[in-house]
Amino acid sequence: MTALVLFSHGSLLCGAGEALEAHATRLREIGQFERVEIGYLNYSEPSLATTVEALAGDTSVTEIQILPYFLAPGYFVKRALPAALEPLKNQFPRLSFTVAPAIGFDTRLADALLDAAEGARESDAWREPLERASSSCRGVDTCPLFATPACPKGGGAA
Amino acid sequence: MKALLVLVHGSPTAGANDAMREVVEELRGRGVYPLVEVGFMECNAPSIPEAITALTERGAKEIIAVPYFLHTGTHVCDDLPTLLEEGKARHPQVHFRMGDYLGLSPVLTTILTERATR
Repeated sequence: MTALVLFSHGSLLCGAGEALEAHATRLREIGQFERVEIGYLNYSEPSLATTVEALAGDTSVTEIQILPYFLAPGYFVKRALPAALEPLKNQFPRLSFTVAPAIGFDTRLADALLDAAEGARESDAWREPLERASSSCRGVDTCPLFATPACPKGGGAA
Repeated sequence: MKALLVLVHGSPTAGANDAMREVVEELRGRGVYPLVEVGFMECNAPSIPEAITALTERGAKEIIAVPYFLHTGTHVCDDLPTLLEEGKARHPQVHFRMGDYLGLSPVLTTILTERATR
């Protein structure tokens, strides 16, 4: 069985995974792959290594396809991803690994931007993503919101 | 006149913006907005303030900004709203609005299913 791993950069900001988690949820519902997981390069959990190790523990998984959640095949897809995969390939020789292309160009990205423009809002709504991020607070002091008024656990908003 | 301003991170890597520029050409071709411009956070020109100024000089009365970003990070949460607020202060005659960032679109899920090769 092939498992899909959405590969992303990761962020120090709590709540930064909201969009990718929504894609993962929809991909699970679509059912193209029996297992869909997320693996981050930096900062966010789970790391790519943690995710691959967990999938390796599932004996029905024979192949792992890495799907880069990146706009362009730049440094992270071309260099950092192969470097992160190399030790995992050595650690789990029974698994075969494939890497899908980055998002790149697609005319439907124009549709998505036009939809976003259609729903554009006034300035009082511009910081809603920040409010949503603080609602996913992990209470870690590396988050840029930590100890600011937007942080529920950092002491800013007593 | 309505303007669409695509907010982009920017990159020091040559070619990193090629696909985005193709998407922006596609947007221009759709003809929904008479003005379509790109503004970069860093590394590339024009900057977002420069793009805002250029649009107002070309007659934009309403600027609709859409972030070409995949994630909620500090840019989407804080830096982009701040740059647009500064634009509002500099151009009080212009009506500014901002849309959701690209990563929130379910259209991306569809594209991801096609990038997956099976």
